Amino acid sequence: MNEISADFTVEMEHAASEPLPESSLMEVFSAELWRLKRIIAGMGLGSSDGEDVLQDVSIRAFKQCRGGSRIALPSREDQVRWLIKVTVNRCLMEHRRRRTFRRHAGEILKRRLETKTASKSAVENVIVAEELEIVRESLQKLDDSLLSPMVLRYFCNLNSKEVGEILALSPSTVRSRLREARIILAKQLLERGVEP
Amino acid sequence: MEKFCREIEQMLVDYADGQLSPGDSSKVAGHLAQCEHCRMLLNGLQKTLELAGVIWADGLAETESIRIPATKTRTIRWPRYAAIAASILLVATTSIVWHTLVKPKGSELTFAEIERKITESGSAARLLAAAEMLGDNPEAETIVKQQYRHIVETYPETAAAAKAKLRIK
Repeated sequence: MNEISADFTVEMEHAASEPLPESSLMEVFSAELWRLKRIIAGMGLGSSDGEDVLQDVSIRAFKQCRGGSRIALPSREDQVRWLIKVTVNRCLMEHRRRRTFRRHAGEILKRRLETKTASKSAVENVIVAEELEIVRESLQKLDDSLLSPMVLRYFCNLNSKEVGEILALSPSTVRSRLREARIILAKQLLERGVEP
Repeated sequence: MEKFCREIEQMLVDYADGQLSPGDSSKVAGHLAQCEHCRMLLNGLQKTLELAGVIWADGLAETESIRIPATKTRTIRWPRYAAIAASILLVATTSIVWHTLVKPKGSELTFAEIERKITESGSAARLLAAAEMLGDNPEAETIVKQQYRHIVETYPETAAAAKAKLRIK
């Protein structure tokens, strides 16, 4: 388990023992904004779509606070899970509509080179750009049922049990979807002649 | 692809994630030492995850520009209510002390009475501050009125009760 995942688990355990009133949901939303942004980025949405998603999630959270929903969220753990679930669902709606990971490999690489010291040669950069493009396309084509577990597990650092609770799947189903998704991505990279 | 490779392929992601039992893990490691195809696939699994991480991180950099939605959240201005309570308490205390000083000698207040009045003023002031805080919420109108009546009935001689009377009107 990595550091972020460990932090999340500790946070969840602490939260589970401390029930909070529903009025704190907006505070949890603000505190968890970083995680929701990770989901948005992982699902391939750009800033304007991401802003729409966050706006919708915040409105739903606000309605939930005002008792506009019958869903009970007694603890912080429930509130975090609810926020992630709503964000994932909202991203999937947007993702189905747009199906795009906006930036192309060249742009990603350019940005990386701007922010990091360029240590690779021009040829190596071309190779990396090509590999990034293949994975970007593969992620774009990946089925939603496989993409969301991938993002939550590997980008949001949740474990299979936590991912399962959010997506209403058993941990074994989450693991099998992760296996399927990763094998698809790896095979597509190999089929395109990339030697890892 | 050999049948055994297919079996290993099913375990390869869990192997890469360190999720396999020690027995299965050594079985996979043993196979990887002999099979180039499965080694390539394992490297491919690691490489794609690394590249997906780069793509996601790039998207995350883009989301940094997202401004936090301006949802209307009601922030409780505790300093304001604390100031109200403190001012009511100050007025009440001053009033009690003044009454004590100017009262004719035959009916002098005892120290216990002064203490009781101060305590009552404090309690009434706290209740009034709480009611004022709830007063911001239109849905809590009934409760707030009940609270004002309670202050008037329970602590009739306090400054908070006088304010509560005004609020009821």
